[in-house]
Amino acid sequence: MDKLDDADYTASSYLLMVNLAEQLKLPFMQIQKQAELLSRVKVKDLSSIENSASYALQLIDNYLLGLKLNQQKLALEQEPVSVAAVLYDSGQLLSSLAKEYGVKLELNITGKYEPVMAHRQGLESAIVSLGSSLIEAISAQDKSKYTLQLATHRCRYGIVAGVYADNPELTANLLRQGRRLIGRARQPLVNLTYSAGAGIFVADSILNAMSLSLKASRHHRLYGLGAVMRGSSQLQLV
Amino acid sequence: MSQVLLIEPDKPLAKTYQAALRKAGHKVKLASTSQGAINKADAQTPEVIVLELQLVGHSGIEFLYEFRSYPEWQDVPVLIHTGVPYIELKDSWDLLSDHLGVSDYTYKPDTSLDKLINSVRQLTRSK
Repeated sequence: MDKLDDADYTASSYLLMVNLAEQLKLPFMQIQKQAELLSRVKVKDLSSIENSASYALQLIDNYLLGLKLNQQKLALEQEPVSVAAVLYDSGQLLSSLAKEYGVKLELNITGKYEPVMAHRQGLESAIVSLGSSLIEAISAQDKSKYTLQLATHRCRYGIVAGVYADNPELTANLLRQGRRLIGRARQPLVNLTYSAGAGIFVADSILNAMSLSLKASRHHRLYGLGAVMRGSSQLQLV
Repeated sequence: MSQVLLIEPDKPLAKTYQAALRKAGHKVKLASTSQGAINKADAQTPEVIVLELQLVGHSGIEFLYEFRSYPEWQDVPVLIHTGVPYIELKDSWDLLSDHLGVSDYTYKPDTSLDKLINSVRQLTRSK
């Protein structure tokens, strides 16, 4: 049984790596073309190149974190974590990418929730990975305005931290189908995004290492993906 | 000055290609989806289409089937400019070129902006 589990894990790591490599071509192509354009047009603002490079590096970092957590090469030290603070920090990390893609980023952390037990860096990396994929995905829709919301709310299973947009394609079925096709198809989430959607699978892998799962979720009238965590009243800081 | 319809879902790439093609003297309209591209073409028939095959929902190939179903757009040259390597399209190339009227193919990572501009120029001349 252990051997079978090992084989499953190796296969899924390989497929995630294929998916990630495909995804990474995108920011590198952006850098390649933007650099070429800048060499012939005098432009002082190099922020596009900087943003594409940061996006690629962030994706690699988050992938590596998921890999190390899954292989237990990093201690999975759970601590009381404020979901609102994680979403705020994730929003800061995503703001440049959102600007680059013309997406308005909103934070909806109203409501008072007790802390959850989680690996803080892991949770933040998962939210940032999800956010970057969804920023890319929603900006390719035929709309005049694009908004992405980082939000938290309580559900019957605990406290949800997620990323939401006005896109009804964000369903449990899409996620299920994507998990089946990851690393095997160029666009495992074809109804959501034109890219490999690696951020979503990286988030899936990080959450899995933390014994959490990525789920399709609704927030008010928005659709999204998020993690459900159990809050603890004993950890309430007030 | 020719009218180019650029169908590219990635915003930063689309903006970069648009700037380069404009600098080369083309008028460029952008679309990110198959339906958006049909609407743009309907508003003004393009002289050349530059098409990424990987779109959200309907693929570039599905776009071509719909686009070519309109008699007035039968002769519009289409350049496939995509992140999909040729080896993965090889089996479909006959369909793309003979049936769907694709004029040329360029692979994004291997194609400089100069080369893309030249390919577009050749297609506008060949009309």
